[in-house]
Amino acid sequence: MNQEKQLLVDTTQRILTDLCTADVIDSAEAGHFPRALWQTLSDSGLVLAGFPESLGGSGGDLQDCLLIISEAAAVCAPLPLAETFIAARLLQSAGGAVGSGPVTVASGYFVLDENRILHGSAKDVAFARWCEKVLVVAGRSGQSVLCLADLESLQVQEVNNIAGEPRDSVEGSVQLREDQVFLCDNEPLEMLHLLGAQTRSIMMAASLEKCLERSVEYALGRTQFGRPIAGFQAIQQQLAIFAGEVAACIRAASAVIDSAQHLDLTEIAIARARIGEAVGICTDIAHQVHGAMGYTLEHPLNHNTRRLWCWRDEYGNERFWQETLGRIVNAGCADDLWATVTKW
Amino acid sequence: MQVANHYGKSLFLSAVECEMFQGLTFESIDLPDIAVELRTQVREFLSQELPAYGLPNSDFNAGESAAFSRRLGESGWIGMTWPRVYGGAERSFLERYVVTEELLAAGAPVGAHWIADRQSGPLLLKFGTEAQKMRFLPPITRGESFFSIGMSEPDSGSDLASIRTRAVKVDDGWILNGSKIWTSGAHMNHYMVTLVRTEPPSENRHSGMSQLIVDLADPNVTVKGIKNLSGDLDFNQVFFDDVYIPDEQLVGEPGNGWQQVMSELGYERSGPERFLSAFRVLVEFVREIEGIATAEQHALVGRLVAHLVTLRRMSISVAGMLEEGKLPATEAALVKDLGNAYERLVPELVRLQMTGALSSRFAETLNQCVLHAPSFTLRGGTREILRGVIARGLGLR
Repeated sequence: MNQEKQLLVDTTQRILTDLCTADVIDSAEAGHFPRALWQTLSDSGLVLAGFPESLGGSGGDLQDCLLIISEAAAVCAPLPLAETFIAARLLQSAGGAVGSGPVTVASGYFVLDENRILHGSAKDVAFARWCEKVLVVAGRSGQSVLCLADLESLQVQEVNNIAGEPRDSVEGSVQLREDQVFLCDNEPLEMLHLLGAQTRSIMMAASLEKCLERSVEYALGRTQFGRPIAGFQAIQQQLAIFAGEVAACIRAASAVIDSAQHLDLTEIAIARARIGEAVGICTDIAHQVHGAMGYTLEHPLNHNTRRLWCWRDEYGNERFWQETLGRIVNAGCADDLWATVTKW
Repeated sequence: MQVANHYGKSLFLSAVECEMFQGLTFESIDLPDIAVELRTQVREFLSQELPAYGLPNSDFNAGESAAFSRRLGESGWIGMTWPRVYGGAERSFLERYVVTEELLAAGAPVGAHWIADRQSGPLLLKFGTEAQKMRFLPPITRGESFFSIGMSEPDSGSDLASIRTRAVKVDDGWILNGSKIWTSGAHMNHYMVTLVRTEPPSENRHSGMSQLIVDLADPNVTVKGIKNLSGDLDFNQVFFDDVYIPDEQLVGEPGNGWQQVMSELGYERSGPERFLSAFRVLVEFVREIEGIATAEQHALVGRLVAHLVTLRRMSISVAGMLEEGKLPATEAALVKDLGNAYERLVPELVRLQMTGALSSRFAETLNQCVLHAPSFTLRGGTREILRGVIARGLGLR
């Protein structure tokens, strides 16, 4: 990581340490938007760090955004950072900008009629209740367009996932202005799905690393049979497996970050397949090491593990991405397998 | 060497107070352009040489051919990172990485020169005398001189410090007595770098050991084959009965054997042979399902390839560290443990996705892998020992 990126990460970590406490996360799960945390990150130029200043960003590159999203995910920041990033990326590809956030994205069923009224509904819209706008992909005479709709004109039904994160239902009809509709060359639903999978992959890797850190700390501090449980081989062997999985996840996520500019389907499929498989193994060990304490809402481990159990299923679970990757590989013949692998 | 250092993140455990913990790092590394050209050359070479050797097997230990090793040496691909004066090609560890993974993936018979190239040569380069380097290294690079590793003994497996094979100092040399076991290739190789006690055990279990180069053709050395599960006579027990070892065949300092052995582990544990042993099973599986793959079969290929690509990148990161002169023992242990688990997983998962009669080529590849698989998580450090090393890296011990 170069110095500029390190500075960006350090700044993000400082703000998160101060403002993203366990209490703030619990309070968000109880329904309160952590406005101060969002505002500070936004005022510091960290929400859209990777976008040009003309689009409301800070002029960095897309890797900057992913690094910040990754830091925030490690500490379970209850904010639509990934969603605002996805919306900004989609709009950028169509010549638009998100303006002020927070913005979320929805991949439900929407139609834009000839009077420019948007009709439709979507489930699992992340953080919708706390966002000003939602970006949706709508059909208009057989073509896909992007629509940036004000959420206050739509009905938002509050739904939480098992991590207490808002995954709301959104529906209704709303008249849009011309400047809220964007034509796009690419297939925007596919891009939305890929961006969702991309951001979830790096978020999971970061959160798994945090779980490992918590587990090692816990094992060193918890005494049983007269010594820290870290001293028992049974625990050491489990944490070693955990570390291997985490190292592989970090390596896979860093490949996703390296290829951020191209939004590479293969890299994202590799990362989602690999990291998705690790989540079950790692959260199992993390909870086993933490014992009954980790099974309570009093211990912060649950903030990470409950989110991991949700994120691994969003934008395609590991089985979906394994099959996607397998189909790419199997499009070639057996004797080309090695040549394919070494290209990645 | 080009290092794309976008995101060289370490597994940070900053909150943990631990002197030992240095952070585990697997940096993103792009192979240099020259390595890409080299890959093409190796593939051309293999497409001409390999058809003569029958069914490919990507297990580094499952096939050897002195003739093949000589041809490889002629191409300059043994000892390729070593100085030219010793027959090397002064190429980078990343280039060596490319050659080794191409050989394994293609299933080339690499067993004869493998240990000399990977381990014995680098050991001599680091600790050997000038005379030893001039004597032993050039024939290794020509693919004419093959080495074994003498570490385990009948009563010393993972607990290497408990070895009892002893060398006693005499004028101009040492007299060696004892026995080594699980010595791959000792019946075919020329030399064995042997870890022995040169002082009786003391309070510091790791002191008093030394490494000697044993000439396996010595009449006082007896090699007895041991059949492994597949019926192959690959490994051996080697007996030393008053074997005279001249001083010129002591490696490094007497008493420094343990430290020297530990320094080999970065080379021994991080290479592509730690995750490619079952690769040919995956290739044959892809061949078997070509054009008729079910969704589950596609998913299994995707799952196994996601692991493979990630392991490969981690192994390349370690090659990059070796190139920088580092000794990444913990990272290497981690690559080996993950890689070995993967090698064990491949045949177990692939067999479940097959129904009906298998082609004989697929069946033979799978069966050979199943029979060799128990060795993957034993050789070069058992799974349990590796996890102990990783736990130490995490600051747990």
